[in-house]
Amino acid sequence: MNEPSKFNWTGWLVFGLFLLLWECGSRASPKLQLYIPPVSQIVVALSHLIVSGQVTTHLLTTMRRFLEGYLLAAAIAVTVGVALGYFRFAHSLTEMLIEFLRPMPSVAIIPVAILLLGIGDGMIVAVTVYASTWPILVNTIDGVRHIERTLIDTGRTFGLARRRILWQIVLPAASPYIVTGLRVSLSIALILVTTAEMIAGNKGLGFFILDEERSLQSSNMYAGIILVAALGYVLNRLFVVLQEKAMKWRRGMVAREGL
Amino acid sequence: MRESKLNGMFFLLALLLVWELAARAEWVNPLIVPAVSKIVGTFSELLWSGQIPLQILASLKRAAVGYALAAAVFIPLGIFMGLFDNIRRALEVTVEMLRPIPPPVVIPAAMLFFGLEDEMKIFVIFFSCAWPILLNTLDGVKNIDRVLLHTASTFGLPQRKIIWQVILPASSPQIMTGLRVSLPIVLILVVISEMVGSTDGIGYFILDAQRRFRVAQMYAGMLALAILGYVLNQLFNLAHRSLLPWHWGMTKRME
Repeated sequence: MNEPSKFNWTGWLVFGLFLLLWECGSRASPKLQLYIPPVSQIVVALSHLIVSGQVTTHLLTTMRRFLEGYLLAAAIAVTVGVALGYFRFAHSLTEMLIEFLRPMPSVAIIPVAILLLGIGDGMIVAVTVYASTWPILVNTIDGVRHIERTLIDTGRTFGLARRRILWQIVLPAASPYIVTGLRVSLSIALILVTTAEMIAGNKGLGFFILDEERSLQSSNMYAGIILVAALGYVLNRLFVVLQEKAMKWRRGMVAREGL
Repeated sequence: MRESKLNGMFFLLALLLVWELAARAEWVNPLIVPAVSKIVGTFSELLWSGQIPLQILASLKRAAVGYALAAAVFIPLGIFMGLFDNIRRALEVTVEMLRPIPPPVVIPAAMLFFGLEDEMKIFVIFFSCAWPILLNTLDGVKNIDRVLLHTASTFGLPQRKIIWQVILPASSPQIMTGLRVSLPIVLILVVISEMVGSTDGIGYFILDAQRRFRVAQMYAGMLALAILGYVLNQLFNLAHRSLLPWHWGMTKRME
């Protein structure tokens, strides 16, 4: 993506043609219209939903659950990950446990969470935390373990306090890995929130989409899908912007190494 | 290394032991968290009665078809987009528009079309692993050393041979990455789509067991799923090692 950011006319043209085809195809066949309403109708439905405030609570609920789950997972996973990466013994104890739990598709935890926590906010946040913990945890452990020992030893030789070694050496050195984990978890968290809302929820965009499908309001359903996609897009962009701000020092470094 | 494995084993066993004791002594409600021994017992019962294998088979079939379809469509598409800038630019916006859709929310839309049939799950899986496969292939092809391509065409290799003997091998590590990243996604989506709309498959089995309050069965199903995830991952590694032995060796050394 290093070409000048010219406006991609052909790309938008193709996308426009795609939408036009959708519109015409749907209008041409009334049977199809039940499943795929014309784009214009979806747009109308979407703006109606937004203006009437019908989706506001759903959107806000999903966002709040996402943020709670994701931030909690990040806090837990980075803390535990640094500890496990730093202390070899702790890592050797838990390595197998992690390797055993990680390959299980995280959504399988939803039924258990329903049993333990019932249906509601707590359950949805809990499964989000569970699922988005793994990528951050594993990457953080990896990152800390890959730190050159000399860095830490140098810090020690200069008599740096443990806390400063943690904040000024370990965390910055492991941060590229941690960021990778955080990035992967971002989409996982959104997947888990929407899924949990579909399976056991009475609020939230996941619930809204499935509910509209069941009442055959297909325009509203597509509008909901667009909203979730927009949410995902915005969160991703936000992440990239924050990452670039936070990792500015590193970009300079990479460039200097220059491959 | 050996010792650390042993440590891990002991720790895991100790945890399971604590779990077992906690359930037996009723520190936790055994109706919600049954003893490990009971879960394992139920698991082997379901295994031999053929119920779990049957459900897993149903899930695997959907997963395999969706995954294979996605690979068959998006690897070639990725190659074309990587080779021809025009095609890439033409499709870029559409891809960027569709990509942020979290795959589970496609399930309701797919249900409108396909009902609760296998096709619904296959479509959802196809959609969910489209982007990792496509974008990794595209990156792989774009990053091929242009000298390789020029050399091949200087020697007058026909287009077909260039694709098979230069482009595919040169971009295969990246293609592998895309396929590998997709693997857990496929598994997750199979389970989700079976939970939301299905009458069989391991995802349905687990949720159904929870709804009927057959708790030990639910945990047994999860155990089966964990084993499945592990086995699939190992199989993928095996395939990677035998298909791209040179690359496998390289990645190991770099670690």
